[in-house]
Amino acid sequence: MTVRGQLTRRNLVLAAVVVVLLALPSLATAFFVNFVMTQTLILGLAAATIVFLAKYAGMTSLAQFLLFGVAGFMFGNAALEAGARGLNLGWDAWAAVGFAIVVTTVVAFVLGAIASRTTGIYFLMLTLVYAVIGYFVFAQIVEISGPGGITSIQRPELLGPPVRLYYAGLLLSVLAYLGFRSLGRTAFGLALQGVRDDPIRMASLGFNVALHRTLAFTLAGFVVGLGGLLNVWWNGQIDPASISIGPTLILLIIAVIGGISSFEGAWLGAFVYVLVFTYLRDLPLIDRIGITEARFNTVIGVIVLAIMVLSPEGLTGIIHRLRGRLERPAAAAADTSTGGPLPLRKTEKEFGGTRP
Amino acid sequence: MSRLRRRTALALCAVTGLALLAAGCGGGDEDDSAGLPADQETAAGEVSAPPPGDGDGVRLGILGQCEGPFGGFHEDVVAGTTLALARFAGATPNSSTSALEGFTGAEVAGTPIELVGIGCGDDTADRILQEVRRLVEQLGANVIIGPLSGDEGIAIAEYAKANPELTVFAGISGSQEQTLQVQAPNYFRFYGDGAIWSAGLGDLLHNQEGWETVAIIADDYSFGHTSAAGFVADFCAVGGEVTHRVFPPLGTTDYSSYIAQLPNPDEVDGYFWAVGGTGTQAALEAFVNGKGDLTGDQHAGNLFFNPDLAQALGTDIAGAYVGGFATLPGDVRTPKIEEYLAAADETWETIPGSLSGNEPAAPSVAAAFGFFYGYYTAGVALAEALEAVGGDISDLDAFHAAVSGLTLDLPYGDISLDENRSGIVDVGLSRLALDESGEVVQETVAIVPGVDQTFGGTFSPDTPSPGRDFPACEERDLPWVGNAIPVVDGVPQS
Repeated sequence: MTVRGQLTRRNLVLAAVVVVLLALPSLATAFFVNFVMTQTLILGLAAATIVFLAKYAGMTSLAQFLLFGVAGFMFGNAALEAGARGLNLGWDAWAAVGFAIVVTTVVAFVLGAIASRTTGIYFLMLTLVYAVIGYFVFAQIVEISGPGGITSIQRPELLGPPVRLYYAGLLLSVLAYLGFRSLGRTAFGLALQGVRDDPIRMASLGFNVALHRTLAFTLAGFVVGLGGLLNVWWNGQIDPASISIGPTLILLIIAVIGGISSFEGAWLGAFVYVLVFTYLRDLPLIDRIGITEARFNTVIGVIVLAIMVLSPEGLTGIIHRLRGRLERPAAAAADTSTGGPLPLRKTEKEFGGTRP
Repeated sequence: MSRLRRRTALALCAVTGLALLAAGCGGGDEDDSAGLPADQETAAGEVSAPPPGDGDGVRLGILGQCEGPFGGFHEDVVAGTTLALARFAGATPNSSTSALEGFTGAEVAGTPIELVGIGCGDDTADRILQEVRRLVEQLGANVIIGPLSGDEGIAIAEYAKANPELTVFAGISGSQEQTLQVQAPNYFRFYGDGAIWSAGLGDLLHNQEGWETVAIIADDYSFGHTSAAGFVADFCAVGGEVTHRVFPPLGTTDYSSYIAQLPNPDEVDGYFWAVGGTGTQAALEAFVNGKGDLTGDQHAGNLFFNPDLAQALGTDIAGAYVGGFATLPGDVRTPKIEEYLAAADETWETIPGSLSGNEPAAPSVAAAFGFFYGYYTAGVALAEALEAVGGDISDLDAFHAAVSGLTLDLPYGDISLDENRSGIVDVGLSRLALDESGEVVQETVAIVPGVDQTFGGTFSPDTPSPGRDFPACEERDLPWVGNAIPVVDGVPQS
């Protein structure tokens, strides 16, 4: 594709967003950057892997948060030198990073291979089972999880200042976003989308359907493992409750809020989630109508419900529709002779039901 | 019509989003300074940005739990700190029926104490870390009181260690490691821990009741492990033997398979239970189903044993011994305790605490229980430490030294700190007994004075955390064995 071809309005807007995010540490408070935005980027990165699997391979995974946690636990076990918790291998920080990523990717490959023959609701259920089993593995095998979690986890020196962690999150997010988007145009990405749409036909054409799904799951595991590392550096500790069923569902909710068929939506959903979590209680008079911090989950639930009803494609769907409405008068004038493009309801096509 | 409605909904969504964004940015604009604000934390490694507030006053944040298994105690714990500041810093609560509305007018030695926020935990370490970061990094708190539960305490102690400009008074979190292993110089705990609250029970059961062997069943998490560890250390120190240790996961509802792992009542002298929350009753019921009727004399439990168990289990539970908590059972009434409870009743009309099912009740109901009291001791410590340094907290080392040196004269016994800044406390042991009307009540039987968390060297910074196998059952000298002060009809016999 030519440079000119890349200069769509969407890409320009995204580039502008990245520029703003790059300049953000000079514009906003430390808390907003180091807490709100860093958490947004970490959760967005993790949610983007859900979007990747759902969008290209038609697999809605609940196991991403488990892999997120596997990376964190493995880093903690490998990097800590002493203390009462974990294996205390005392490795160099970057060796621990490599170890965590390798273990996470291998786990993702194995789990992906087992799940590769299921789709739709069955895949969802199987990954839910992974999440539950994973939680109990870490809760029961206390040698690798504490007991009661691994604490005092330090970041590598390179990422010492919190603002560098923010930039690391931004860098990985941008790379993951560009990578996932361009993957859709590669041979692997196209085959994956073929597998999503008609696995039987793809199999008869000679494609190894199970292998494609396994590799997609493994790639998603690798990326979510990077997010898991950022998270454990940001949080300083991880315990089995960190990967229990509650946080697992929250990641899916983030993807749904943003729009499960768009990569931008993952970060948008994470931003909305963190924003509501952090600032909802500061709104004036909000507690007078009964919305205190204890009602936070209710508010998130209402938001998800509203999005499901108003726009199954999430917040990005709402943005697209708003933009479409603004552009329609102009487009209608230009397109009277050829007719507009056919309306595309991707979500229905991708998540319409179970396939063999 | 439908398009109009959709447009309204979209507009509503947009407005909500913008409002949230404005709230987010609004908080931050005040302390925008030159340079890279987000990089302020870089100067001294992990050190956080200075509080956005001005002046030298105390900017207090309280960490409670508004969700999760202890969510019902949110009102209790905030009220505890508020009462301390009302008594010793002249604070006035903003509401006469709830502590969550905050307070005003608190001041010690000319230094104002401003409540900047109340954190809302859900019993997980991740959540409490996010809450404390919000209080400290967004709202500028420089003193934290809390948290409430075991795993949270370890996480907050680690946070305090990484943020030396902060001062933390633990709330009622009962894990041992937060002081013994983490050893943050700015983290202070003016109450006991789960092991301390079991101290003296083993001595009493072995030497008075003649138990030689005991089976232990405890929740499989830090507080259950710590409670069991304290009992093992105490019971084995005086020569008893632990035959079984069973650890059901937290949140178990059907305990029958764990009860099956316990020996039968004729194979062991007694059982020690550290199963908490709704699990206590469920586990005891499973015991009745699996092993036959309860005989109260053969059982002992940590703080979760209480007279309410009789509602489901009948009066057979009478005779069971109960470990201590921060306060003493209601039968002990000294003038200091009376004064403390009366002060609570004067400060508010009602408080919807957990013991009254979060319905409005006399504040003294909540004040007599450990959750309220732990946060009260933290508040008293803050006020007395400020008094000791003449209200000047600009020299943090001096302030922290003053806190470490405090001996608090408190209604349920004096409390001072050990070298790891953890409380050396008096533990009240009690027994469930039948009163004249045939009701099960809790009667104090002994007070064990001066218990510290090392158990005569059983626990130290170099030993593992209390766990399924630790500590081993070994005889050793405990400083408090034989020193327990008997209590008869609510009157200590010293």
